[in-house]
Amino acid sequence: MSFNIQVNNKPVEVHEGEILLNALRRNGIKIPTLCYMHGFTPSGACRLCVVEIDGKRDLVTSCAYPVEPEMVVKTNSARVIKARKSLVEMLLSNHPDDCLYCERNGNCELQWLAEEMNIKERKYFSSKRSDKRDHSSPSVYRDPAKCILCSRCVRVCEEVQLVTAIEFISRADKTSVNSAFSKGLNISSCINCGQCIMVCPTGALVDISHIEKVQSALASDKKYPVAFLSPAFVASVSDHFNLKPSDKPAGLIIAALKNMGFRKVYDLGWAVDMNIHLEASLLLERSKKKDTVTPLFSSCCPAWIKYAEEFVPEMISDISTVKSPQQLMGYIVKNHEKAEAEKKKQQLYTVSLMACVANKFEGSREGNTRKGESEVDATLTIREFLKMLRSYGINLLRFDPVIADNPFDHSSAAGYQVSYSGGKAEAVAMHLNHLINGEKKNGPKFTPPKNPGSKKEVKLSIGKQEFGFAWVSGIGEAQKYFDQLVTEKRKDIHYVEVMACPGGCAGGGGQPVYYFQDKHKARKKTGQDLEKSLKSRKPSQNIHMLEYLNVRLARKEEKDVLQTRFKQRDVIK
Amino acid sequence: MDTKLSSIFENYPNKQRDDLIPLLHSIQDQFGYLSEEFIIEVGNYLNISVNKIYGVATFYDNFRFGPKGKFHIRLCHGTACHVAGSSNILSELEKLLRISNGETDKNGLFSLEVVSCIGACGLAPLIEINEEYFSQLTTESLKDILNHFRENHNSIYEDQ
Repeated sequence: MSFNIQVNNKPVEVHEGEILLNALRRNGIKIPTLCYMHGFTPSGACRLCVVEIDGKRDLVTSCAYPVEPEMVVKTNSARVIKARKSLVEMLLSNHPDDCLYCERNGNCELQWLAEEMNIKERKYFSSKRSDKRDHSSPSVYRDPAKCILCSRCVRVCEEVQLVTAIEFISRADKTSVNSAFSKGLNISSCINCGQCIMVCPTGALVDISHIEKVQSALASDKKYPVAFLSPAFVASVSDHFNLKPSDKPAGLIIAALKNMGFRKVYDLGWAVDMNIHLEASLLLERSKKKDTVTPLFSSCCPAWIKYAEEFVPEMISDISTVKSPQQLMGYIVKNHEKAEAEKKKQQLYTVSLMACVANKFEGSREGNTRKGESEVDATLTIREFLKMLRSYGINLLRFDPVIADNPFDHSSAAGYQVSYSGGKAEAVAMHLNHLINGEKKNGPKFTPPKNPGSKKEVKLSIGKQEFGFAWVSGIGEAQKYFDQLVTEKRKDIHYVEVMACPGGCAGGGGQPVYYFQDKHKARKKTGQDLEKSLKSRKPSQNIHMLEYLNVRLARKEEKDVLQTRFKQRDVIK
Repeated sequence: MDTKLSSIFENYPNKQRDDLIPLLHSIQDQFGYLSEEFIIEVGNYLNISVNKIYGVATFYDNFRFGPKGKFHIRLCHGTACHVAGSSNILSELEKLLRISNGETDKNGLFSLEVVSCIGACGLAPLIEINEEYFSQLTTESLKDILNHFRENHNSIYEDQ
């Protein structure tokens, strides 16, 4: 039921039971917040959403107040503005004020608020926080001095990802967000997903930057820098600049990378095809064994892998052993380019361009280095790439699109499919069909359920067997699904795609940080549009990749390098 | 699994989240402090994230994370003691022992805790060392008291 309330002397239509803040925002009325996160229980910590309600003595936090009939609300009265200004001034009282040197300079909610509230000088003085900066993680960098204790990261880590690697420690003016026993993220249960970075309003949580490493490799004549570009990355950059598939966004990015000094740029989608081919083959092999009842879990998400190693080690034996696309590509490129680099007396330096901060960690995993040399030397996130574009003064649109370098220059639509939740399950299902039935015109159709509440499962009969495919994203959702599989004793699911970030890589921790925008749906749409524009539809059409597997990697020991293994991790959890 | 905490866990068979604080109290009562090892064990027992427990425990002043000294000094910082100069006593204590509030010195002899009113306002300023009270302190008398404990630390409590 809807009714009208008075807001700033104008009627506004609201729904019964709605939270006031949501009603105001839905009607285009701006209310600042720092701690509010859509879909989470309100915490009321920042109090910036205060409004004045007639008949109430005190200001009310609109994020935790339901609408009432005949309510009279003022959102910008002198009293409200004064209160909000004081709140921001108090938040600034111990802020380091080093905006010039801050990763989030220009994209910081606190900075915007200070500007909006017309704050010109420091009104309250208190000592700066002395907590140590935490450089220990391979993916996430924490600077507690910039933390405003809004609790967004703590809630995402606990409620969405079930990890609780960071938590409020101590009390009152000593409160800080910290890892267990204040010992650093590297030995905490952090899975490096980077969702905390995505919600941090300030620069307290940012990624461990690889820009400097990459720049010095680009500048050095002793290094031979080679990049590989993931389709999820292309979809997101394309969405960021509002590009159309006809603009050939991948080609523009490759041109920009070449301009920056990369000697070669390859298409990571090539390795995605390989990953799907290997994983579908593994699934086929498993389906022939009669005694396996547990599904095969995908392994391409490094954050999910770390979660499994820490929290559900009993599942490790059911996780696909195929290396992730980044590591497959890293290994293959390192082998392929070795001779070329040696001829030039240069050291090969591989850089992956991903939508993910956990890939920074994945590159340094034990199984992903050979003889002390990593397969992937650096990983750039989309944020880092966009920053590099600015610092190099590159306008993407002024380039002519360039195709990726031979031989890893083409990939099927599967690359873009993998960039969103559900896409990989579909690609694996379709490839399994290809492996069993070959190319037939009327194959089974993969139709995801339309109803958002229904289980994300599709069942297909392929050959003589019925296969069940499922997909989950966000560790919380994934864990719930795993528990269901066990309690309901399900035997009809054969493959589960697991992505640690909600929405898959489209919502990844290396994506640009947007204020109040649920961008992963838009990125998925862009990815799907790009997917449609590709001629090569399936991994089975990537002839070069299949030949490469058959010819170059024919020997068994060579094939083993495309596999990896996982083991239980003992962390404070 | 049999551990140091098994006998304490027996009193909390329901493994409820609300058992957390009473459980931490029981551990501190028996061992004097909450070690990292204990916190991890409690986390495993109650199935609560270790970091969450650490967050809860650090919220309260009463929980300690390191062992107490042989002589645990509690300095009263109530209103009467404050007026009578307990701040000077605190800075003197910190200078003499080279530790600050909540810490234990290197030899494990003294530990220091600042507390709110002990309820002996007539005796202000006041410290309590292992439930023995020392009243109307001056920086001079404080020195003597500490020296007494330091010199005789081998013989004190020997009979107990």
